[in-house]
Amino acid sequence: MLKRDHQLVLPTQARAPGFRVELRGTTFRLIATGAWTVAEAADLDKALKRLRVPIPPTPDFTGEMDIAGIAEIDTAGAWLLQRTARAWQKGGLRTHYAGATESFRILIEEVHKRGSAKRPEIEKVGALQQLLGDTTTAVTSVWQDAVQLTAFLGEVTAAFLRLFRQPWRFRTTSFFHHLDHAGLRALPIIALICFLIGAVVMQQGVVQLRPFGAEPFAVNMVAILALREVGILLTAIMVAGRSGSAFTAEIGSMKMREEIDAMRTLGIDPMDTLVLPRVLALVVALPLLTFLGDIMALAGGGVMAFGVLGIDMATYIDKLHEAVDFQHFMAGMIKAPFAAIIIGLVGCLEGLRVEGSAESLGSHVTSAVVKAIFLVIILDAVFATFLSGIGV
Amino acid sequence: MTVTGADGREVVISVRGLAKSFGSHQIWESLSLDVYRGEILAIVGGSGQGKSVLMRVITGLVTPDKGDVGLFGQNAKTLTPQARLEIEKRWGILFQDGALFSSLTVLQNIQVPMREHLNLPQAMMDDLAFLKLTMVGLPPNAAHKFPSELSGGMRKRAGLARALALDPEIVFLDEPTAGLDPIGATDFDHLIRKLQQTLGLTVYMVTHDLDTIFTVCDRVAVLADKKIVRTGSPAELQSRPNHPWIQEYFCGERARAASPTEQRRLIANDA
Repeated sequence: MLKRDHQLVLPTQARAPGFRVELRGTTFRLIATGAWTVAEAADLDKALKRLRVPIPPTPDFTGEMDIAGIAEIDTAGAWLLQRTARAWQKGGLRTHYAGATESFRILIEEVHKRGSAKRPEIEKVGALQQLLGDTTTAVTSVWQDAVQLTAFLGEVTAAFLRLFRQPWRFRTTSFFHHLDHAGLRALPIIALICFLIGAVVMQQGVVQLRPFGAEPFAVNMVAILALREVGILLTAIMVAGRSGSAFTAEIGSMKMREEIDAMRTLGIDPMDTLVLPRVLALVVALPLLTFLGDIMALAGGGVMAFGVLGIDMATYIDKLHEAVDFQHFMAGMIKAPFAAIIIGLVGCLEGLRVEGSAESLGSHVTSAVVKAIFLVIILDAVFATFLSGIGV
Repeated sequence: MTVTGADGREVVISVRGLAKSFGSHQIWESLSLDVYRGEILAIVGGSGQGKSVLMRVITGLVTPDKGDVGLFGQNAKTLTPQARLEIEKRWGILFQDGALFSSLTVLQNIQVPMREHLNLPQAMMDDLAFLKLTMVGLPPNAAHKFPSELSGGMRKRAGLARALALDPEIVFLDEPTAGLDPIGATDFDHLIRKLQQTLGLTVYMVTHDLDTIFTVCDRVAVLADKKIVRTGSPAELQSRPNHPWIQEYFCGERARAASPTEQRRLIANDA
């Protein structure tokens, strides 16, 4: 009779690769065998989850974790035993271990001690709340960006004006280094890109204007586009990608390794040593690069004009003279120093905003390029409106 | 296949006749070393002797010019990529500043090896990772923090927890107590000893710290003159240095302060 009762409450005559459960006398025994290691943990976990917690019919029933048959155990195995023992304990069975060697006992005790700590949960945020929160952050960060960039412009201007009183603060070596890197070394790529775009615009212009018999005017179109927009925009975008990102990465990694803090404590102003040489180098380099870009775009147009229209170089140059004058050239050129200031400021400011981690450096480099290009295009639009307003 | 050393103990790593040069600078000529199962071995040596490079050679991050590295009785040169991966799962490495992945939280960092190499349910990985986190002595609230929000000592502990994620047989520690305050360093020494006993680990550590050597290390291997010049227990090396560098290192002022025999003498004098 008693026996049958016990049979009824026995969880299952469970057998799994790593263990079996039996009832002997008044003791439920989990007899563990083989390897209880992290490699077997997934299977053991599944089998143990299927195991129901035995319900003691009278309070004098006990549980036993018999681990004499375990050949290998690690923290994962010990944790699984600990979880089972805890569940049995909670179900009203006083549970103890049997057959542990000294080293197993140390491990199991350690896991029991640590296993009682509660893992903090991550706070769950609802989707709508998340969306609203993200929107708020995005909007305020645009505002903060604007404020910080304006403040930074002020600081740089102040540092620049200070140079007139204290010209020895100007870092000549640094300035020429950046002039070399941002200017001279950008020559080939900018020349190539502008040449190709000039050629493409000429070819497309001829194809589109031919049905109207207006293909000679393609030269006018290329000339005006190249001088007013293409030269400066392509150059500025290229420089933002090449040098703006480099500025952020250089200054950002210095910030990460506390070099900028070291400078400040040594009485060196990072504005003088890092920011001004870079911004000024760009202000000098970008107009020169733009000039090169203009020439190369016109040259590309010329080569394509010879190809599709059969116009020779001398005629092409004559047509250019008819189509454009100095005003068009200046309308493009005037934008270059302003674009340079934007790219330099954004690059340096983002670099100074980098925080401790590599991830932060990456995201600031990205945002430096994106913001610089965005602002350059805004600048271009403002100038276009303004210049056409005053009739240039 | 297990390899046993001269005194019958199992050798888990054996390095034979290693040579390595960087450019014209040769760091070792013919370096040999055995690491026994269950010991805490410290590698000491002056700057530029290639202590960290040796660890990188053993773990396969740097290829030696000459010589063999035996890992659990297999020659590292002849391993297939699959066999190498199996061996890599049997060790964990703590780099100097933890080398935690900065885009992941501490708990996620600890789970990275489990996720890559095992097929465990997420809930179990969370629990196991949290267990490891408490075992290395991190507070529970560190679980969801990012590495940049932790102090140097906590980053090392988190790095150690990640090294222990797969319950390895060997852990490599690169200067575990460098940059920690004396109290933090002592705690870390005790932690290493405790984990070694609890998990039956073999510990290979590169260190400068005499306190660590005297409190936790079973054996010390000394790198000098382009090879391992001596191995032995800290007490042996101190009582019979037999080499000018060891003499200076183990019998200098700092060593005397750290050595347990000296401390006993001081206590006796006080009494």
